[in-house]
Amino acid sequence: MIKFSRLFIVFALIFAACSSEDDGTETGGETGGTDSFDRGAMLINWADNIIVPAYNNMAAKTQNVETAATAFTAAPDAAGFQQLREAYVDAYKSFQSVSMFQVGKAEEINYRSYLNTYPANTSNIDSKISSGSFNLELPSSFAEQGLPALDYLLFGMGTSEETVALYSSNENYRSYLNAVALRMNSLTAEVSNSWNGDYRDTFVSNTSSSSTGSVDKFTNDYVMYFEKILRSGKIGFPAGAFTGTASPSNVEARFNAEISRELYLEAVQSFEDFFYGRHFSGNGTGSSYKQYLEYLDSIKDGADLAGLIENQLDAIQSQSSSLETNLKSQVEKDNTKMLEAYDELQKAVILLKVDMMQALSISVDYVDSDGD
Amino acid sequence: MKKLFVSAFVAALTLSSCSSDDDTDILNEKNIEVPVSYEFTRNGASTVNFEGQTTRLQMSAEILSNFTDFDNASEEMLLNMFANENSPFANEDLNASSKSIKSKVAASNLYFSTNNVEASEIKADFDSWITEQMTTVKANKDMLAEAGQAGQIAQGTRVRYVNGKGLELNQAFAKSLIGGLLVDQILNNYLSQPVLDEADNRLNNDDELPEEGKNYTTMEHKWDEAYGYLYGDPSIPASNPNAVLNESDDSLLFNYLGQVDEDEDFAGIAEETFEAFKTGRAAIVAGDYIVRDEQVAIIRENISKTIAVRAVYYLQDGKNLLANGEFGAAFHALSEGYGFLYSLRFTNDPMTNMPYVSVSDINNFKDQLLSGNGFWEVSPDTLDSISEKIAAEFDFSVAEAAE
Repeated sequence: MIKFSRLFIVFALIFAACSSEDDGTETGGETGGTDSFDRGAMLINWADNIIVPAYNNMAAKTQNVETAATAFTAAPDAAGFQQLREAYVDAYKSFQSVSMFQVGKAEEINYRSYLNTYPANTSNIDSKISSGSFNLELPSSFAEQGLPALDYLLFGMGTSEETVALYSSNENYRSYLNAVALRMNSLTAEVSNSWNGDYRDTFVSNTSSSSTGSVDKFTNDYVMYFEKILRSGKIGFPAGAFTGTASPSNVEARFNAEISRELYLEAVQSFEDFFYGRHFSGNGTGSSYKQYLEYLDSIKDGADLAGLIENQLDAIQSQSSSLETNLKSQVEKDNTKMLEAYDELQKAVILLKVDMMQALSISVDYVDSDGD
Repeated sequence: MKKLFVSAFVAALTLSSCSSDDDTDILNEKNIEVPVSYEFTRNGASTVNFEGQTTRLQMSAEILSNFTDFDNASEEMLLNMFANENSPFANEDLNASSKSIKSKVAASNLYFSTNNVEASEIKADFDSWITEQMTTVKANKDMLAEAGQAGQIAQGTRVRYVNGKGLELNQAFAKSLIGGLLVDQILNNYLSQPVLDEADNRLNNDDELPEEGKNYTTMEHKWDEAYGYLYGDPSIPASNPNAVLNESDDSLLFNYLGQVDEDEDFAGIAEETFEAFKTGRAAIVAGDYIVRDEQVAIIRENISKTIAVRAVYYLQDGKNLLANGEFGAAFHALSEGYGFLYSLRFTNDPMTNMPYVSVSDINNFKDQLLSGNGFWEVSPDTLDSISEKIAAEFDFSVAEAAE
């Protein structure tokens, strides 16, 4: 029986292989993905209509945080505190639409790690505040700055009144808060300036389909973001999907966890918008993965791959409506829902990482390193 | 660059299959050199490595050795061992390891990567056996067990500890771990196509491009990791495991593969399985993925059968002992049988890539065994009917497994 099935497979493949000459460039050319899809136009749409506007938006939001922090620390009061909190929440949401773009300057300066390594290391933050001596440029201080640090500094210090009082009375707290806000803004400005400068042209002109081409490299980052940052970070780790032990304190924005589902949804939405090539502002749509896949006529299980991915992204959205707004509380009360979210996300990982990348003839440059 | 394996594979076949000279090369196996023992080298150094599996087998052994040590062990200690938290092991090397058993229970790519809800229920079962053992059973350790009440029960001169249903939780844990950890990782993770062929594994293996800082390719290593769960106990000689068949200190899968092999109806299964591991590994070295996958099918069938034969064996043994009124011995057999039944969920029928027995049937069988007062009142008919239904999914009879 086994011999038989092997022969069958071989013959099936011989048949397929010999007749494939008529099929044109169904899944890319033999010599290296030189299909005639206009990668350049897709890169331009990505850069001009999505990435650059998203970073510009983020830069405005971190500027607001810095301005609000400066104002609050100059004269701590309830109104200023409220403004700062709102600016922080706003920035955290906007961050979800740039976090996946870890290429160019963002990759070079490790933007995502400085902005959003969570959970924040609160005991290190405490001791740096009390010593008054710190250097946020150290890579060892990823978990002591950025949005998760603000989450702690603005929501982890007791009631609003207590927190305002703390900042009023303590110079060290004020200076740490300011430093975090300042650094977040300057890192964001650096990335945003780079895109508004030369990097945009570098990115869109690198249309090569080699592993160093923009599409290949970006796609690896995009899919890895979905797997490691979105799936594992926002859902998998808090749900204990890898250890079997739920860990609610690993939820994003753990001190202000009321926004945790919203952050997750923002990330899913941004990821999805990018897949469809939807412009960051307005209702326009441009060249995208979806179009590329449709062009390649990628077929899996009788359905087109773009359609399978769309359906799965829909399934993720629809599952997410059963989650509480507070994911920390969701983990604590009914973690099964979190695991269900994880399973839906993982189904998309398979479609993206195996099927999509294969269809696009892009080599996966990272693997799940959970062997022994 | 066209790097993906399917395309490369098809392209390779296009080249060879359309020129008639090469057809025979494809139909005849490539030059695969199968060594006498499981030894593979590159540039004079071994490429075989499965330390991580040996570590987990050692962790399992240490948990099991503490499972009935009510004087020194505690719920917290065993749960810590299961998850490798808070340095619970006597063996310091295990504490230093970043690995844990729990993270790999019901964690295979094939069955659980998009099925974390069930995976988490399975992990919780293991936790619950620890908890019940170290609370309810421990509290009753100096009482006689009776229907509905945990306690001691004698098997000859040996003392067994059972819960209110007559289930020995250490047996449930150990035998379920054979499936939940070992069989699942071997059949459904390391030997599964998505893992063996992940990313550029085929291309890198074809190019003999080793992992950074290692002497093995990723695919070679995945295969070895499967091998290590079966043959990685420190008491087993790595390259020639069957030399100690039925004589090693292993108490998990290798031990039961040996026991099934001793039954003349299944004689040769251990040798065939080892040959398949060697041949598959040699096929990877030769870059012949068709032969590799044929060996995967043999291993899946043999290991799955090992689990099923032991499940039926113990259910039948338990039935006969119950008929003799030997409750202690019967409960011991049924507890082992329960664990092997639990492990059936992780078997893999190579024709379908699914468990031989459906998950709902397995759950139904488990419920039948433990309904009401469990083993105290389970009927011979129930044990026979479960045995028959399991055997029917395999190519052996209840009588062949039972002797």
